[in-house]
Amino acid sequence: MALPFKVGKKELFLPNFIITFLRNQTLPANYARFEVPLWFSKLDLRDYLYHAYNVRIFSVTSYVKQQRARFGAPGGEENQTPMMRKWHRPRAKKFMTVQLERPFVWPEEPEDLTAWDKETVEAQRGHQEAERDKMMPTADTLVNEDRRKSMKEQARALLEGREKWEPRGREKNLTSMMARR
Amino acid sequence: MHIAMHCTSRSLLAGAFRLAVQPHPSTLPPPFLLPAFTTIQRATFSSSPSPQARKDGNPNRGISPLRRKVTTRFAKRVKKDIANIPQPVLDPRLRSAVEVDEDHGLWEFFGQEKNSLATPVEISAHGRGWTVAELRRKDWDDLWRLWWVCLKDRNRLATFEAEKERIGNLYGEEESKKRRRELNVTLGGIKHVLTERWYAWENARYAAMEDPEVNLYADPDKGEQALIRPQEEKKVESIQDTLPPPPADEKLGSEVRA
Repeated sequence: MALPFKVGKKELFLPNFIITFLRNQTLPANYARFEVPLWFSKLDLRDYLYHAYNVRIFSVTSYVKQQRARFGAPGGEENQTPMMRKWHRPRAKKFMTVQLERPFVWPEEPEDLTAWDKETVEAQRGHQEAERDKMMPTADTLVNEDRRKSMKEQARALLEGREKWEPRGREKNLTSMMARR
Repeated sequence: MHIAMHCTSRSLLAGAFRLAVQPHPSTLPPPFLLPAFTTIQRATFSSSPSPQARKDGNPNRGISPLRRKVTTRFAKRVKKDIANIPQPVLDPRLRSAVEVDEDHGLWEFFGQEKNSLATPVEISAHGRGWTVAELRRKDWDDLWRLWWVCLKDRNRLATFEAEKERIGNLYGEEESKKRRRELNVTLGGIKHVLTERWYAWENARYAAMEDPEVNLYADPDKGEQALIRPQEEKKVESIQDTLPPPPADEKLGSEVRA
């Protein structure tokens, strides 16, 4: 069967790059989106998909996404060290959208995410964010609602005479010292 | 209108002569233009289109297609089909599901179960990478196949990672990192072995270039020998030659017997 396009003539036996297939969230089923190396050309992707995956395509559109300036020293995500007054911009990412000959729909997202422990990760992240906020310069604006509530209950109990105030700990020592004097 | 817009030299000339009667010297053409008025131009010039071009038997020529009457068969059919044109389904839930072929090449970006995500348990179900010592025993075809298997597995891992990042707050990054490390071990081992082979071949080639017994430029199609053997060894080719010559008396005896 004749190909609808011309295949490149340069033979590449041991390519060494990663192509990421991304979920198609908005486009119709005959479009597929990939993240490719920055040096990749449209013809590269077309020939790669045909030779490696036997996928035929009609057209390619490419898009280079500039990355945001990030805090810290340059380097990958693995050797990211927080450094004051140091900014870097990560390398841009390249995305290509191809028009497929045969449509493809991504499999559905798993409903039960316990295998990936989503709840634990969310709890951990929430705790980390709360701890981080306590370290921020605006920490004195934070209101501890639980503490406020418990203090209100204790005060009401004292006023109503349900509990009697007793000095404890350091206060107890202070009162005993005062009594001796 | 067609005639009124004519602007021939004859009319100009008539105008010029008429003006010449009137005592207004400023309206007269300058004298150096007089030769132009003496010659009479036969061909007419007009900016309006020639009426010949419109004689194609189409009564609707020049009428907007939005207003003209439907006369041709094709136009009638189009008008009929417009009534039965399919309407787009705007609600995505009501649309019919797209059928994906089982042998679609893009399934290779997923696992055997064709799930959009692999669990950390599935990702960590792997062994160690191939060592260089194991890879040395493999030929090029095996190494090449293994290279592509690892490459596609790496693409699959990257796809799962991107999908996990899209959902957010999921474990499994460490598992895929470990797996990718093992894949990179294998890929590096394959490169190592191939580099070793290349150096071995290159050393052999240099050795052959310095060896007087080897002719690197021999063409076997023309019957040329790549290995040139020295003269003494060339004699020793068959067992018959290696045997000592028969004794003289035996030769005599054979003659007697005969």
